[in-house]
Parts: sequence; C-alpha cells; structure tokens
Amino acid sequence: MAAVDMEVRDGVDRETIETVQAMSGSYKYGWATDIEMDYAPKGLSEDIVRLISEKNAEPEWMLEWRLAAYRRWVKMEEPRWAMLHYPEIDYQDQYYYAKPKSMAVKPKSLDEVDPKLLATYEKLGIPLKEQYILAGVEAPEGERKVAVDAVFDSVSVGTTFKAELAKAGVIFCSISEAVREYPDLVKQYLGTVVPQSDNFFATLNSAVFSDGSFVYIPKGTRCPMELSTYFRINAENTGQFERTLIIADEGSYVSYLEGCTAPKRDTHQLHAAVVELVILKDAEVKYSTVQNWYPGDENGKGGIYNFVTKRADCRGDNAKVMWTQVETGSAITWKYPSCILRGDNSQGEFYSIAIANNAQQADTGTKMIHLGKNTKSRIVSKGISAGRAQNTYRGLVSMHPKATNSRNYTQCDSLLIGDKCGAHTVPYIEVKNNSSRVEHEATTSKVDEDQLFYCRSRGMDEEAAVALVVNGFCKDVLQALPMEFAMEAQSLVAISLEGSVG
Amino acid sequence: MLEIKNLHVKLADEDKVILRGLDLSIGAGEVHAIMGPNGSGKSTLSYVLSGREGYEVTDGSAKLLGEELLEMEPEARAAAGLFLAFQYPVEIPGVGNMTFLRTALNAQRKARGEEEVSAGDFLKLVREKAKTLKIDAEMLKRPVNVGFSGGEKKRNEILQMAMLEPKMCILDETDSGLDVDAMKLVSDGVNALRDAGRSFLVITHYQRLLDHIKPDVVHIMAAGRIVKTGGPELALEVENNGYADLLAEVQA
Amino acid sequence: MTIQQAKADALAARLGAGAEGQGGSTQQSWLGAAQAAALARVQGMGLPGKRDEYWRYTDPSTLNVPKALSAALFDNRGEPRPFSAVDRLKLVFVDGVFDPAQSDSLALEGIEIERLSQAAANPSHWAAGLYGTLEARGQTPVERPFAALNTAQADEGVLIRVTGKPSRPVSLIYLRKSVDCDAILHHLIKVESGAELTLLENGPAAARLSKVMEVEVADKGRFHHVRTQGRDHDRRAISHIFARIGAGALFKSFTLTANGRLTRTEAFIELLGADSVAHIAGASVGDGDFHHDDTVFVTHAAERCESRQVYKKVLKNGAVGVFQGKILVKQGAQKTDGYQISQSLLLDDDSQFLAKPELEIYADDVKCSHGSTSGAIDDTALYYLRSRGVPLKQAQSLLVLAFLAEAIAEIDDEAIAEDIRGRLEAWLHRHEHAGNGQ
Repeated sequence: MAAVDMEVRDGVDRETIETVQAMSGSYKYGWATDIEMDYAPKGLSEDIVRLISEKNAEPEWMLEWRLAAYRRWVKMEEPRWAMLHYPEIDYQDQYYYAKPKSMAVKPKSLDEVDPKLLATYEKLGIPLKEQYILAGVEAPEGERKVAVDAVFDSVSVGTTFKAELAKAGVIFCSISEAVREYPDLVKQYLGTVVPQSDNFFATLNSAVFSDGSFVYIPKGTRCPMELSTYFRINAENTGQFERTLIIADEGSYVSYLEGCTAPKRDTHQLHAAVVELVILKDAEVKYSTVQNWYPGDENGKGGIYNFVTKRADCRGDNAKVMWTQVETGSAITWKYPSCILRGDNSQGEFYSIAIANNAQQADTGTKMIHLGKNTKSRIVSKGISAGRAQNTYRGLVSMHPKATNSRNYTQCDSLLIGDKCGAHTVPYIEVKNNSSRVEHEATTSKVDEDQLFYCRSRGMDEEAAVALVVNGFCKDVLQALPMEFAMEAQSLVAISLEGSVG
Repeated sequence: MLEIKNLHVKLADEDKVILRGLDLSIGAGEVHAIMGPNGSGKSTLSYVLSGREGYEVTDGSAKLLGEELLEMEPEARAAAGLFLAFQYPVEIPGVGNMTFLRTALNAQRKARGEEEVSAGDFLKLVREKAKTLKIDAEMLKRPVNVGFSGGEKKRNEILQMAMLEPKMCILDETDSGLDVDAMKLVSDGVNALRDAGRSFLVITHYQRLLDHIKPDVVHIMAAGRIVKTGGPELALEVENNGYADLLAEVQA
Repeated sequence: MTIQQAKADALAARLGAGAEGQGGSTQQSWLGAAQAAALARVQGMGLPGKRDEYWRYTDPSTLNVPKALSAALFDNRGEPRPFSAVDRLKLVFVDGVFDPAQSDSLALEGIEIERLSQAAANPSHWAAGLYGTLEARGQTPVERPFAALNTAQADEGVLIRVTGKPSRPVSLIYLRKSVDCDAILHHLIKVESGAELTLLENGPAAARLSKVMEVEVADKGRFHHVRTQGRDHDRRAISHIFARIGAGALFKSFTLTANGRLTRTEAFIELLGADSVAHIAGASVGDGDFHHDDTVFVTHAAERCESRQVYKKVLKNGAVGVFQGKILVKQGAQKTDGYQISQSLLLDDDSQFLAKPELEIYADDVKCSHGSTSGAIDDTALYYLRSRGVPLKQAQSLLVLAFLAEAIAEIDDEAIAEDIRGRLEAWLHRHEHAGNGQ
C-alpha cells in the first residue's frame, strides 16, 4: 500500500493516520466472479446497437429508437464543464454487452439461475431468495419485504417477489422484459423525462442500454414492499448502461432502493445510466441510492467512471419525489438527480452524502426546476473530501415566472479531512418571481478537532471518533434513507474514510 | 374607549370562522382581561384590531374613541392610539432599535399633526424609559428584537408602549415565555403606565399575570365570543377549576 | 462560423472602429510595449459571446459593438453630487478625458499623481513594471477580454503612488457631455508599505465606459475605495478592479449602483500576503430597464487572510440583478476566513435575480461560508412597523434600507456612509411609485 503523501500537523494526527492507514484498502466488494461470459465485439457502432437490440429480442420500434439515439450521439461532444479531470475515454475500447453464458436461455424462475450467480449475490449480502429483509440487517418490527431485481453486467439475473407484487397490480421487472411485455407503457413514457438528446451520456445510454428495472404502480396503490435493484459490474473492460423507468400513477406510492458494486480492476470502467421517474397527480416516489462502485486504489488506478442522468418529473398536482443518495464509490462521479416540479403544490427533495477519498473525484448535485405554483424543494448536501480527492456540489434552483409562492431551501456543507483535498460549491440560482423565496447556505470547514478530542476522551479510538463525527455531520441525510440502507450507509461512511484522518 | 360590537371574523383564505359575534366595551382608564382556552380566538381578536392581513371581518364594528378602527390601515390605528404588544415580537435584522422607535414615534406624531421630537429629546426620553425597564444601551443599539431573549423581547414591547404613549393597549399573552422575575419587571412597566386616560386589554391564558396587573373586569372567551364577564374573582375561579366547568356552566 | 471565429470577428470589428488598435502604440515606451502585449492577449481571446459561461446571465453584445450606442444625458435636477460634503482632492474627467481646469492641483502630501499619457514619457517610471501586469494575472482561470482590450487601448487614466497618509481622499469625478462617446480609462494605484489612501469615484463618464483599475497594496498598506456609478439611465459600463494585496494589508471597496441599462462590475482580488484583509461590497437599486452584474473573484493564496463579499440588490419593474462570486482558497492558505453573501429583494413579480455564488477550496483548516437568498419584503416585519404607526411607504423604505445595511456597513468612514444612505433614501423616495422616474 502506498504511503499517503500528507502533511501532518501534530502528534495526534500522525498517530491517527498510521492507525487508519494500517486498515486501509478495505473495499469489501472488490472480488470478481469467475464465470464464462458472452461478449459482443469490442467497440461501438450501429451493428453493436442492432446486436444489443437483437439479444434482448426487441420489437422494431425499440431498435429504431436506439439507432436514432446512436446517430445523434456520434455528433455530440463529451461535456467538460464539471470539475473532473480524467484522460480521454476511448469509447471504442470497451465492451457494450456482456452476459453470462449460463443466462443464454433466460431462467424461468430463480431456482434455474446459475448457482455461481446466486452465490455472487449471496456474498454481496443480497441473497436472491424471497426473504424478508436484506442480509446482515436485523429484522425490524413487523414483516418488511424487499423485492430485488439483480442486474449482472448487461443482463437482469432475476427479480424476486414478482408474483406477490402482481397481486397488488404492481409491475416490477427488468426493462428488457417490459419492452416485450408492456410495450404500450414503455412507449408512452420512455425518454419523456430524460429525452434522447438530453446530454452526451444520456444519448449514449439511449443507444446501448442493455438492462435495468421497470416499475409501474397503478392508481391509488401503495406498493406493498420496498423495491430494489442491485447492480453488479463483473466483466473486465465492460461498460454498464442500465436504464430504469418508474411510473407512479395517480395517488400511488413506492419506495425504491438501488445499490451498486464492482470488482477491483486496474482499468477504468464506464457506467452511464439513465433513471426516469414519472410521478402523476398525488403520487409519491422515494428513490434511494447507495453507490459503492469500486473507487480505484489509493493512487487512482482503476475505478468506475460513473456518468448518470437521473430525473423525476412531477407531472401532476401534489406529486412528491425524494432523492436520497450516498455516493461513496467510483473514481469519477458525474450525477445530478433532478426534479421538475410541474404540478401545482408538487414537492422535490434531494438529500446527498458524497464522500471522496484518495484520488476520487465527485461532481454531483441536483436541479430543482419550479414550474408549478406553490411548489417546494429542499436540498441538503453533505460533501466530505479526504486524501487528494476533489468533491464538488453543483446545483440549480430555478423559479419560473409562473411558479408563484414557491419555496426552496438549500443547505450545502463540506467537510475537509487533510490539506491536499478540495471541496467546491457551484450553485446556480435563478429567481423570476417575487412571491417565491429561495435560500441557499453553504459552509466549508475541517473536521472539528474538539469534537474528535471529546469523543476520544470518552474512550473512542480515533477511527471510531472520526466515523462518529462524520456520521453526525451527515445525520440529516442518513435520516432520509430507508432503515435497511441507513445502517449500511453508516458503516460505509466509516469504511470510505479509512486512511483519511488528518 | 374601545367599543366592539357583534364582531364576526373568518380567515381570509379559508372558510374558518373564528370570531362569532363578539361584544366588548372598555371604558377610559379601565383594565380588562380576556381569558380563554386555546383556539377561542383571543389572539385573532388582537390581530384583527391591529389590522393584520389574513382575516376577513364579515360583520360588526370596533370603534376606538368613536372612530371605526376596522377600516383603517395599521399605521393609522397606531396613530389613533392603539397599541398591540405582540405575543411573538417580530425580529427585523438591519433596523436598529433606536431607529425603529424614533421612526415610529415621529410618524405617529406627524400623523396627528404634532411636531417631530428632536434627536436630543428623543435620546433623553428613551434612556429614561429604558432604565426603568432595565434595558441597557447595548440592547437599544441592536437590531429590533434580533438575538433578544424572550424576556428582552417583551420588555422591548413595553418600552415601545412607554415611548409611544398609546391610549388603548392590548397585551397579547405577554406572560408567555417569561420567568417570575421577568414577569414582575414587565408588569411594573405596564402598571407605571396606568392612568385615567389609558385603557388596557390583557389577553392571557393564566391567572398569574393578573396577580401583577390587576384587572377591573375579567371576560371569559370561548368559540369566538365573550361567554362570561365578572370581576377579578372570575380569574381565580378559572385558576382553581379550569375552563371546563365554567364553559359547561355557560352552555347549560 | 465557429464560436471562436465569431469572437475574433467581434474583436476585429471593435478594433477597426478605433483610430488605431492600441492607445500608446505610437510611442516606443514601456506603455507601448505593455499595450502591444495586451493587444496580443485580447486577440488570443476575442470578445465574449453569449454562450460563454462567464456571460451566462449578461448579454455582452452592446459592449461588443464597435461604437457606443447613444445614451440620453441625465438631469440630476440640481441635486448635490456624491461626496460633495467631503473634503477631497478632485480630479475631473469629461467624456473620459482629464480636465485640468476643473480639477484641483495634483499636489498632495504623501502621494504622487500623474496622468497616464505623461508618465509614458518617463522610461524609469514606477508604473513601468505594473501597467497591465495585474490585469494579465486576472486572465486566469477565466478570460476577461474587455479588461485586456482596455489595457491595450487606454490613453487616459491616473497613476497614483501613495507613500504616506494623505490628509484628504482622492476623488475621481467622471462627467459626461456627449450622448454617444466611448470612454476608456485605466488607473494604476500603488499603496506603498504602511501607506494609506481613500479613493472616491463618481459619475457616469460616458455613454459606454470601459474602466480598469489596477491596485497594488504593499505590506501593511491600507486602501479604501467607495464609488457611485452614475445614475444615467441609458449608459452602459464595464469596469474591472484587479488588486494584489500584501501581508497585513487592507483592501476595502464599496460600490453603489443606481440605474443604468447595463452595468458589469468585475473584481479580481488576490490576497498574496499573510494576515491580509479584503472586503468588497455592493448595493444596487434598479427600476425598470436595469441590468446589473457583479462578478467577483477573490483568491486566498496566503495564511490567515480574511475576505468578505457582501452584495445586495433591490429590484423592481423588470430589473435584473446578477451576482457571480467566487472564493478560491489555494492549497496552503490555511486559517482562511472567507464569507460571501448575495441577496436580492424583489419588489415585484417582473424582476429577476440570477446568481452563481461559488466556493473552490483546496485547504482544510478554513472557515468559509456563503449564503444567497431571494424574496419579497417580509410581510410580518412590514405589519409590525405599521402597527407601530409607520406608514406603508416609509415602512417599505426602512426595510429596504435595512436590507442594504450590511453592504453599507462595509464603508468605514461614517460621513461617506451617511452620504450613501442619503442617496439611497432619495432614490427610494423617487421610485416609490411604479414607473420609471429617474
């Protein structure tokens, strides 16, 4: 393990750094599954797009949609406005489709799934059984069920609790299945929140997305359990391009969780996802992410390049959306889950913890577009930088002339651990009516030595003290997570900061 | 002094009726207290009299010295001699307490056709009044109510009252959030202002404030009306038996 | 046509309009050399385009066009001019040209004042190594083409070197007689170690003004700057301050902007010595066709420095207020105390506030914060004031002034602050009613 190049200010700091460095490099999910794969040829072309469509046995309209996106993408330029520095990505030097050979014939039920794949998810703590809760978490009061869609490289391995959900009228399946089984719904909504032309990475995704999840919650239905998708990148030199579409019909409710991990690899891998949420009148969606892609090693070797477009469209009055994200992984994070508050009285919330350690770079935030009257939004962002990492909050709050009597409150706090990292805040505030009120506050400070000392004087070791203080710093956001994720996220915060204390 | 007849008030934005035919008459130099359970409309009465937005008067009248209050702008009511000591005094960052007092005093004097007070006279006056309320110079310099403790805010309200010398003072739950010492200080301030030409309406939840500011008349308010009127003993009755018995008796 | 080509063409058109590309280029002087370098700089950039991130909220096209657009002269109706009660050394410019007849004698204890054109003749002048240097530093990380163009073209301006503590402020007064003239002014100020200067500026200067002020404050020097930008409604102005601040030194600048069809006020301030302080503040009030843009960049490059950016905007009748501000804390600038606030008070539904308040921080032991708010006058505060007898209009004015108070508090000299408050009150009084009174 490379020694971290860090100035040490006093004795306490040095001891801490040494202790914590001794435990560093503990990305828990860095192992790979040895499994035979079918790859599409390397690189990207119309033929590859056709091949992906064919592999998914898609109808003609879907292929045409993909090709239109591809033709547009070829003419686009990669955006460079984010505070991210990385070498040029060679889009021809990767695989756009990788599928375990054992998935050649789609298993009819979970029992038929390749045991190696089942073991992979078991090891990740996501056993694909119709269990009540995620593994490793104690059962809370009452019966809480979580339905899981497991995506492995380019394909969905299986989805649990489908039958039980179907009884409630809820559709939860892979997007490739939805294209075949529910073409009308997909046609009606796909690309309506994030249009094909939205941005370079979204256009790329529109051309080559291979799988992802599809959710439809019917009118007036409260989804009977939490839904979750677990994304795993396993194959080398392979990009993952998943697409998620969630439609919450009038008066419905769903809470959706998403997790992601990848093995340690020396080369960078590309992940460019699109998530679209359509929220109709009186409906509510909670969308939580714990993003723990492989971040690369201490020197920035390897790690996932994570370019994600997520957007929610509150189309009806009183629609509500809440994005919660814990971003601890990836070498590069480029992600701005956004809310279009179109319906009157609609509400958008964004809670984010972004941790960047070692050589990681994160440029993440949100957009709150207020179009309807009496719309409300709230942004709470906690950025933590350590090592040589750079962490940027970038956000837009826009109050359109017709969005009268609307409110936004934004709180952006940054915490710096060590003197080689950076924390940046780039908010855009655009107010075009005077009955709306916008408030933005941001602070940047270092981890509080007094708090650390206080914890240690009560008997905690320094690592525990840092974890506690940082978790305290993140509390507002952790509280917004569903319980299953909150506990995982808390320990993740501590693990992500190992080797960083200063 | 204050003559309220058949006052009906609803919320402007909602169909919620709060005052339902309230009658109240306060003579010059008298101290009246209004007591009543939460939601009986006590604070609404004080807001409506002082002209806060958000309420709609659907019927009735409120006259101060024969002049109809309800048609006037808030500042005109103040110039006419009405003063409301707020339950939650408003913080105004950036406006110094002294500036605030002087602007208000001179605006009222101007509205009444009186001469403005000179800077020197004003300073002398404010220092003298502040002293009796134990308001120090530093507090006078700070922005209006910003960073003031609960007690400081209420003392500041009474200071304004002393400076502006209104004829009809309404004290809206002035005792809320005050400890015993602060309550005494505020009450002494109020009592010092009692005279034959000035009337008070003390709105309170508890009898304890009335130990300090002795009322001539006590009213019990419920569901937007005065339901019972009596002497100071009525307040004690509430203290001992609560509102429930009393209201039951009224309804019976 | 590529974006870059469009920018180059805009510059060529603008340069073609002047008698020559650069101001002092005919002389083989240090000024000529500095101006040639600046011309090369701006030719490498072209003029700004609407798609530039740094011009996201302000359209540069009327600044780009070759000739200034005509702007009606403003009648101040006999109102006293700013700072008239202040004892000061007056330097008067008319349509961007220094007018010795209206100016005081340039002699003052502890200070050297010279016109730019005269200084150019002296090959060993102190300004030789400084002219254009701070502007050039300010071209990264963001290009400021109008500043480079100004350096290249200016042939008027004053050079002020302060060695002591002059007894009076220096006051630059920019009068305007022509309805369509451009003015290009480039001032250079050097406050030597331990010296102190108060600089006042007021007046509209021209139909279109380009002004650059380079300020070097040496260790323990103190520089106070207060300006009011002319109330002419039709004028357009872009001005830049580039400042370099030494150890233990102080820099304070306040700007009042009332009216103006287009005003872009840029500041680029570098805290290069430890324990230095930079405060920069602005109050602007706009009614109607008013677009005002404050673009501020403060760099902390040394330990224990303090910076404050305080910007307040009051907008009505479709006025637009823009704030782009940044605190950059470089690696090693530990114990930085950085603060930034940008707020707008929108007096009606037509007005707009557009802001991009940024922090970019590369040191950990810092205390940096920023806040930005937008909204209407607080109804509760208004009601409270009225319940104490203050009439509506007066209550509104009082609250507007309270809103602006934090910016005005950045003026140390109480008499000058009072002058500014008085001007704001008068402005508010004139603009109480809807419409476009001046």
